[in-house]
Parts: sequence; structure tokens; C-alpha cells
Amino acid sequence: MTQNADATVLAMKGITKTFPGVKALADVDLEVRTGEVHAIVGENGAGKSTLMKILAGVHPPDEGSVTIEGEQMWFNSPLEARRQGVGMVYQEINLVPDLTVAENISLGQLPSSAGFVNRLELHRTAARVLKELGTRLDPQEMVGRLSVSQQQLVEIAKVYASQPRIVVFDEPTSSLSEHEAKALFRVIERMRSNGIAIIYISHRLREVLDISDRVTVLRDGRIIDCRSTEGLTPPEMIRLMVGRDLDDVFPKRHVAIGNPVLEVAGLTRLGVFEDISLTVRAGEIVGLAGLVGAGRTEVARALFGLDRYDAGTIRLHDSEVRIRSPKTAVRAGIAYIPEDRKRDGVALSLSVKENISLPVLRQVARLGWLQRGAERRMTQQKAEELYVSPPAIDRKVATFSGGNQQKVVLAKWLASEPTVLILDEPTRGVDVGAKADIHTIIGELAASGVAIIMISSELPEILAVSDRVYVLHEGRLTAELDRSAADEESVMSAATGEAVAA
Amino acid sequence: MTSAATLPPRVTEEKTANKILGWIALPVGILALLVIGSLLSEQFFTTRNLTNVLINMSIVGIIVVGMTFVFIVRGLADLSVPAMVAIGALLTLSLQPSLGSLVGALVGILAASAAGLINGLFIGYFRLNPVITTLATGTIVLGIAQAAVGGVIVYGDDPALQSFLTGRIILGIPTIVLIFLAVAVGGHLLLSQTIFGRWVYAAGSNPDATKASAVPLNFTKAAAFWMTATLSGFSGVLLALTLQTARPGIGTGYEFDAITAVVVGGVSLLGGFGNVPRAIGGLLLVTLLSNIMVLNGIPTASQGLVMGALIAGAVALDVYLRRRGGAA
Repeated sequence: MTQNADATVLAMKGITKTFPGVKALADVDLEVRTGEVHAIVGENGAGKSTLMKILAGVHPPDEGSVTIEGEQMWFNSPLEARRQGVGMVYQEINLVPDLTVAENISLGQLPSSAGFVNRLELHRTAARVLKELGTRLDPQEMVGRLSVSQQQLVEIAKVYASQPRIVVFDEPTSSLSEHEAKALFRVIERMRSNGIAIIYISHRLREVLDISDRVTVLRDGRIIDCRSTEGLTPPEMIRLMVGRDLDDVFPKRHVAIGNPVLEVAGLTRLGVFEDISLTVRAGEIVGLAGLVGAGRTEVARALFGLDRYDAGTIRLHDSEVRIRSPKTAVRAGIAYIPEDRKRDGVALSLSVKENISLPVLRQVARLGWLQRGAERRMTQQKAEELYVSPPAIDRKVATFSGGNQQKVVLAKWLASEPTVLILDEPTRGVDVGAKADIHTIIGELAASGVAIIMISSELPEILAVSDRVYVLHEGRLTAELDRSAADEESVMSAATGEAVAA
Repeated sequence: MTSAATLPPRVTEEKTANKILGWIALPVGILALLVIGSLLSEQFFTTRNLTNVLINMSIVGIIVVGMTFVFIVRGLADLSVPAMVAIGALLTLSLQPSLGSLVGALVGILAASAAGLINGLFIGYFRLNPVITTLATGTIVLGIAQAAVGGVIVYGDDPALQSFLTGRIILGIPTIVLIFLAVAVGGHLLLSQTIFGRWVYAAGSNPDATKASAVPLNFTKAAAFWMTATLSGFSGVLLALTLQTARPGIGTGYEFDAITAVVVGGVSLLGGFGNVPRAIGGLLLVTLLSNIMVLNGIPTASQGLVMGALIAGAVALDVYLRRRGGAA
């Protein structure tokens, strides 16, 4: 399997892919060599996952070719891609919890004789694979009893057992601690030295710099650069990814910070988060950082009344409030821009107008009867203020791009004139232009005295925009960092629970 | 088209052709039926026949208005309709000798309305499956009604009211048709012009986002089912008063007639789309079709076949247009 180093294993040429309304990839070339770790970086929506889905046989490309070891590939299904030696490790675990490690590893290609599973062979394969990857998992253990990071190793072993030539890792460390991530890197190193080409996708730039040999940068569906990792720095990479300096994407306005607006003390939802205390002042943007599953969204949902809380107090403008439902939250002046835009944010089959006015219908109605003209004026104005493009308020939200749908969600909540605004991943899946627009709006809101809580998984975003950062780890606050003290390192170590609260 | 210099379009337009198809399919179908009906039978295009069609439509039509709300709010369907019709009808006629027709009618409507509150409570607030819930309440209500009247036919004796309802009052239109039109206009205005109507659309389009927008989602769903039960009870009252006879099985089949009309009218079972005029249009189409078949002596079995095909076609068109429109 191992050939001379530098031999090209995978060549994707001129890949173009258009989805209704969006050109996801335009003339993309990618070349991966034997025994290299090739990182692909880019913002959400840059086209990384579309490119990988083409490689995995999920989507056929509109144009372009894929060759593996010089052989032209026509992938019509994920199964075919796997047979041709493409292995995928996604961030979600796809294992059967009630089967053993060995059974999961060989699932889909169980060794059998006369229709019966050959258990001896099954365990021999699993033991060999696990050993080659340098892990110490017991093949007989039930997968359901393993930790998330151990399950991920089983997932990797499963891919490895199919003898791939190329393995794609898609955000493999997003729910791992630093220690667990290190173990993962050792496994990747093993695979590489066994002659497998690795494609590595991650948002954690430091990680990319540590592990990869070469980096390909994607932006808006195009290749921006492909270069050796050596000598590259995180700021340089960010500039390549976003196409401009960080300050242009996340403009930070200097705003006079006023009195505390929202004061939360000891907020607890049993088994989800515990003893959360935080303060947000007028004009202040407070970042809420943490890994996936740390409880950030859950805290936000409780503050907005979407989930109950079991203990703790919430004070708004110096008086205690009890938030029981979104209705009481809205009445108290809280607005929440949800993480899952499609689920909690917009009603896709309704028009922009109908979406924006939904929480504030009473403002545009008299005795329950809608005043068409008033509604039209109000929503048109909001749509224009928020740069919804095009500002066609009668058009169904489903026909707008992700970034514009997010602006519709913002418009909807600004119509309720909140004093506290909670933003949960406000720019996820949004292109750079819309991202800058959204941050300009957030800055304007802060300047007008709104107290803002922002949740984001993108550290550069949190660090660039926040006046203060609270860090959550497993449902508890592990750090409160001032703008001057917050950097990638201090936030990550608190987020992985490796630092004690300051 | 694929030149690298052009920026990707930011939005996709709904296809105009599909939009138009969604709009004109129903009116064209109704017109076609009027023409076909006139060609096939001399009796079809007569005042007498068309008046009968309208009277037949009115009883179901009142239920269709409620069912439209249930569909748009993504409540699937209300299967308790036959029981509500029966309780309205039975109470009206069994109370007639002692309390009079109008008081009987009022009690009948209130009883159906109370049962509707139970539907609403379980579906809206306890989040139970609407099909199972309405099936259960319907069975229970019907059981109670049967026990109360002893499972036999009840006869009424108020010919004055009977002829008032079916007699022609204004421009030759029977009173019962005017009542139905009033309910339809009221339902249409409620759905299209009020805050509550907007809540109904939003709840059906995306319940999670609607709840997160501080809309009383539970109330909205509950109200749709309460309305349908109340209107079904009212419909039962009118049915009993025009027939001056009622039995426990009087409402059988009305739920499916109403569902058929709403589906053929293009109101989406997936929620969030449709309106009262469309549903009434669907009802008109279905009623004309069955009238034509009856006039031409087509056997009942074949009639069912045609109706079934019509429903399947309407649903297929709905799904197709949704996919094309990009909302699916």
C-alpha cells in the first residue's frame, strides 16, 4: 500500500457544485499525497463539507473529476466511495450502543461461515485493528458503556478496518477535551505512518497548525490558497479564511457601559447546568463560551423561558422576575435569537413580513384585527434596517439565503425592542458579508444600550466582540474573563475544564 | 451560467408556472364540472338541482370551515365530527317538546362546544395525538348521546322552522345557505385578518419557532379543535331542524366529507398553508362531482373510486408544489 512519499493519492479537479440558489463550489482543485495530513480550513459555508460530501459519494459534482491513485472515480453512492477506499469520520457517533466494540468495528462486513458470524475472526480483526491504532480498548466491551472519546476511537477503528486509502476527519475534536484530543492525534499519526492520506477539517486553528503538513483554504466555494503549514500563523490563516482582517468581520464598537440590566444568581437546572451567576450591563456584550454540550444553549433557553429552571434568581433592572415562558420573557424585555434557525427561528413557509411581525402582532393590530398598512410599514422598515436582501417582505422566507434568514430572525426580535438580547450562534452557516452585517447590527444595538449575551463556538468571534467572557464546562461556570484577559488559550483551558475558575 | 465571475444568486424565486397552477387548478376544475354536468344531464343546470347542491353543501360546509383551521394549524384532522353532529342533532330534537327548538339548539351547540374544549385541552395543552384524541372523545360523546336517547330515532315537530331554513328568503337563496355563507365569511375573516389567524398559520408552519416567538401555541391549537367541535354541533342542529328527525348515526361520514373537501381545496395536511375560500372551493368541486355522478346513475362503488382518486391526486399535487416551491 505504501508507495514512494509525495505520490498523489487523491486528485479532485475542477469540482463545481450548485445547489438551488447557491453555488457551493466553483472550480475547486484538491490534491492529497500519501502519508500527509492535509487540513482544509474555511468558514462555515465556505464549501468544506460540500467538497467532502462529494468525495464521500453523498452528492455528485456538477462538473469536475475525482481520481484516486490515477484512477477515475464515479461515485454514485457512499457505499461505492467506501469500497474505493474513502473513509469518513464525522463528529457525530454512528455506532450501535448495544453491540460490542468488535461487532461495531466489523459491522457491514461481518466475517461469516455458512451464514453464521465467525466470532473468532471477528475478535481477531478487532484486536488487530485496535492494536495497530495504538489504543487499549477491549473488543468485548459494549459500546454504550464507553465515553464519547472512546466511542470516537471505535468509529475510527471501524473506518480503519475497511482498509481505506484516504480518511477524512470532519471536526473530530469538537466535543473532546485537550487531553482526549491528544490521544486522537496519536491515532491519526499512526494512520499516517501506515500510508493513509488524511484530510483534516477543524475550526481550531492551533490544532490545524500542530497536526497538518499542508493547508488548503476555502472561501465562498473557491480555493484561496494551498500551502505548507510550516511558518503559518493563526492570524494569517484567519485572514486567508475570511478575506479581510478580523476587525472588519467583527467590528468592535466602543460603547459606554452602563448599569447592570440582567443579574442572574445561582441559576440551576438539575442535571443540565448548576449555579450559574452572571451579570450583563447596558451596552455590554458578554460572550458565553464553552464546548458543544457545555450547557450554553440550555442556560439561554432557561433565561428565555423555553426550559424551566429549578433554582436561582433572575433580576432585570433591579427587580426580580420569574421567567415561566417565552411570553413572560418577552414581556420582561428579553429576546432570544436561537441556535437552530430552521427549528426555532423562522417559519419557512410564511413571508418575511409574517415572520417579523409574529412576536409583536399586538403592535400592528387593533382589537385583534391586523392593520395591514401598519404591519407593512413596520416590517418593511425593520427589513431595511437589517439589510435583508432583497427587502421583499412578501416573499417566503424559504427563498432567502441562510444569512438573510438570520437577519429576518434578528429583525423579528428587534421589533419587540428588547433590553436584553441573547444571541445563540448568530453567524453560524452565514457567509462573510452577512456576518459583518450582523456584527454591525449587534454593535449598533449595544450602542443603543441593549445588554447582549452572545454564544458562539467560534473563538475568534467571541474574543473579537465580547467585553467580558464567561466560560462554561459541563454545566458549570469555570471562568469569567475580562476582554484584556481573554485569549484563545485562557478560554480553551477553562472550556475543557483544565483550569480552575479565576 | 457557470462562469466564475458571476456571483451566486442570493435567492431563489418560486416558479411562476407552479404558482399559477396552484391558483387556477380549482376554479378551472369547478368550471369544467359545470360544463360537463350540463352536457351530460338536462336536470343538472336547473335552479332546483343547483339549489339542492347548495343545501347539501351547507351542512358539511360549516364543518369544513372548522376543519380548515385544524389542517392549517397542523392538527392533522378532527375525527370527533360525527359525534358532535349527532349530539347537536339529538339534543335539539329531544329537548324540542319541553323547551322548544331554539333552546334545544342552544343546548346542543353548547354540549358539542364543551366536548370541543376537552379535545382542545388534550391536544393543545397535553400534546396528545389529535387523531387518537378526537377518535376517543368522539366515541365517548356518541356513547353518551346514544344512552341518553336510548339509541332510537328522535322525531321533531317544528315544520315552521324547517321551511324557514330550506325556504328561499333572499334572491331565492335558502336561509341555511345564507347561514353557511355567514359562517364561511366569518371564518375567512378570522383566519386572514386577525392576530389569532396569523397564530394559526405560524403554528402550522413551524411550531417550535412559533412558541419561541411568544405566541400561545397551546391555546392556538386548542382553539382550532374547539371551533371545529362547536361548528360541527351547530351543523348537527341545522341538520336536525331541516330533517326534523335524528338518530345517533346521523353524523357518520361527515368527517371524511369535510376532510375530502379541505384536501381537494389544496389546504395542506402539513400545516401552514391554505385558506377558507380554497376549502369551500374544494367542497364545491366534490359536491358537484358527486351530484353529476348521481344524476347520471353511476353506481355508488364507482363513485367512491372517483372520490378516492380525486383525493390522491390533490395530495400528490400539494406535495409536488411544496417541493417545487422550496418550502418542503
